[in-house]
Amino acid sequence: MLSMRHLSKAYYTDTIKTQALQPFDLRIEQGEFVSVVGPSGSGKTTFLNITGLLEDFCDGSYELDGFNVEKLSDKAKSKLRNEKVGFIFQSFNLIPELNLYDNVDMPLRYRKLSSKERHERIMDALNKVGLASRKDHYPSQLSGGQQQRVAIARAIAGKPSFLLADEPTGNLDSKMADSIMELLMDINAQGTSIVMVTHDTQQAEKAHRIIEIRDGVIIERKHCNKAIA
Amino acid sequence: MLSYYLKLALISLRKTPFLSFLMVATIAVGIGAAMTTYTVSYLLQKDPIPTKSDRLFNVRLNSYGPDKPFNISQGKEVPPFILTYQDAINLQNAKQGVNQTPLGSFKIMTRTTEQSITEAKMTPIRSAYRDIFNMFEVPFKFGGAWDEIADQDGLQVAVISSELNDKLFGGENSVGKSLLLGDLQYRVVGVTDDWYPIPKFFDYRTRAFNKPRDVIVPFQAQINNELWTGSDVSYQCWKEPADDSFSAILASECVWVSYWVELNSASERNNYMDFLVNYSMEQREYGRFLREPLHQLFNVKEQLIERKIIKDDGNVAVWLAFAFLAVCLLNCMAMMVAKFHGKAGEVGLRRAVGASKQDIITQFTVETCIIGLLGGILGLLLAQIGLSITAQLYSHLYAEMLEMTAGIVIMTIVLAVASAVTFGLLPTLHAAKVQPSSQLKSL
Repeated sequence: MLSMRHLSKAYYTDTIKTQALQPFDLRIEQGEFVSVVGPSGSGKTTFLNITGLLEDFCDGSYELDGFNVEKLSDKAKSKLRNEKVGFIFQSFNLIPELNLYDNVDMPLRYRKLSSKERHERIMDALNKVGLASRKDHYPSQLSGGQQQRVAIARAIAGKPSFLLADEPTGNLDSKMADSIMELLMDINAQGTSIVMVTHDTQQAEKAHRIIEIRDGVIIERKHCNKAIA
Repeated sequence: MLSYYLKLALISLRKTPFLSFLMVATIAVGIGAAMTTYTVSYLLQKDPIPTKSDRLFNVRLNSYGPDKPFNISQGKEVPPFILTYQDAINLQNAKQGVNQTPLGSFKIMTRTTEQSITEAKMTPIRSAYRDIFNMFEVPFKFGGAWDEIADQDGLQVAVISSELNDKLFGGENSVGKSLLLGDLQYRVVGVTDDWYPIPKFFDYRTRAFNKPRDVIVPFQAQINNELWTGSDVSYQCWKEPADDSFSAILASECVWVSYWVELNSASERNNYMDFLVNYSMEQREYGRFLREPLHQLFNVKEQLIERKIIKDDGNVAVWLAFAFLAVCLLNCMAMMVAKFHGKAGEVGLRRAVGASKQDIITQFTVETCIIGLLGGILGLLLAQIGLSITAQLYSHLYAEMLEMTAGIVIMTIVLAVASAVTFGLLPTLHAAKVQPSSQLKSL
């Protein structure tokens, strides 16, 4: 469960204050699939970064799976991010010098897991995205859609509570985009909450809920009728 | 986790091979230059006899005549660093020290009794009393020092070096075998083990970095056999000998014998100084020692500094070499900043998937350690090349002397790694500070 209360974010330069996100309340339940839409520069990515503990917020409070993140040290935040959050990025963000196995291994390396357990989780995640047989390949040997599947495998290998996806289909053609969305919906159906930033209205409609951000103001736009798994 | 960081470091180095090579080479050049200079300085200036260097004294008597001093240095009268034969023998007979010996030298054609005269080689010989072996901690491979009678009577016995023993006797125990010095037969009583005091504190300045002489014979044997090589001794007179004969040299006021004494404490040193003053006063009865009794006792370090064999003003060359190393490391640091800056996207990603700043710092520190280690190993090779070039340039140094000790090798590697980590700290901390959210679109 994710709960934000009166949370806001502003950027400061010497003379200018830019309010990126106006104070807002938001609660996302375990198993929800939430789309975040809005024009470029509206604050969607800032919202996602704060949600994923990559950026600090200015005011308000934020609880992630029962942890008040405001008071956590860098080390504790990193641990929480590692255990609770999986990231999926528009440009996949795979490390080109590492093969698929090692790319998926990355978040697991920052946990105290045995090599056997890590191996099982990596292979399980690669199996889920249908790329186990290509574990020794390098990102450059894959198509864009396959690379995004590897990024999803990396995000789910750590069995996080939340997947935060920043335009996960933005760099893909419609066929590949649909296939990635299906994969995300499968993952969501198994109980992982997903917060997805997207420009694609059609993809956004597939979520349980849509949140719109416009000029830093968060507006609950639509409640879908789909049941949460 | 360390193996994971090692793997990442090697991947990172392979990713930018030219930059990695430049960083390693920059450290290597700095380390090579610094360690070559340091090693030469260390080997040339180290304490040649650390357990005794403050207890061994070179004896100087102001035996010069009334008309002019032996030397003037910085406005002060300086006594000669060598003694007349008669003073050396008088001091030796007085036995006021724990150990004491005059040191003489000559050159002569040397061979075994089995070798033909054409196989004889000109060999520098050291003459001394048996105390030399104990005083200068000479190790023995076979046999030992000659006995006291040999000293008194000047028996024809010799202690030879293991190198000469290898050449003449095939490395076998040659004790009891014979050696011909000229046409005089000397019996080998001992073979020294490796003995290379550096600097050779008891010899002339020009010979301080040569190997010790291969043959040592009793001082009195040199005298008995009138073995004299004018070109091999520093021989200075304020009054010419009565004639050209050897006995006239011995009876003269000419100085040529170096004299060393071992004293165990400051009080013994004071007592010995008193003895020297008293001795010179007694000698006045014979019309000698008419100058002020400015006698001196120099311990090993004082002797080395006074004879200008080592310097006591700190080693400017070493400081300059380490300053050069610092410049190299600053260059390497700039390259590290560039390299780690190029990895900001990866840092952002790793932070996003759960790496703490500490994890990033550890990862990059391991990488800088490997750069330092490779730089150290390459630097070690460069230092070895530098030392062999130094040995060729300065032919008076024997090549084996300029070899790195195990301690210096370890120190080189540790210095390289520690330098790389220290100078890599700033780029590493800078990299760890990356705001992950700002980098996730740049991978």
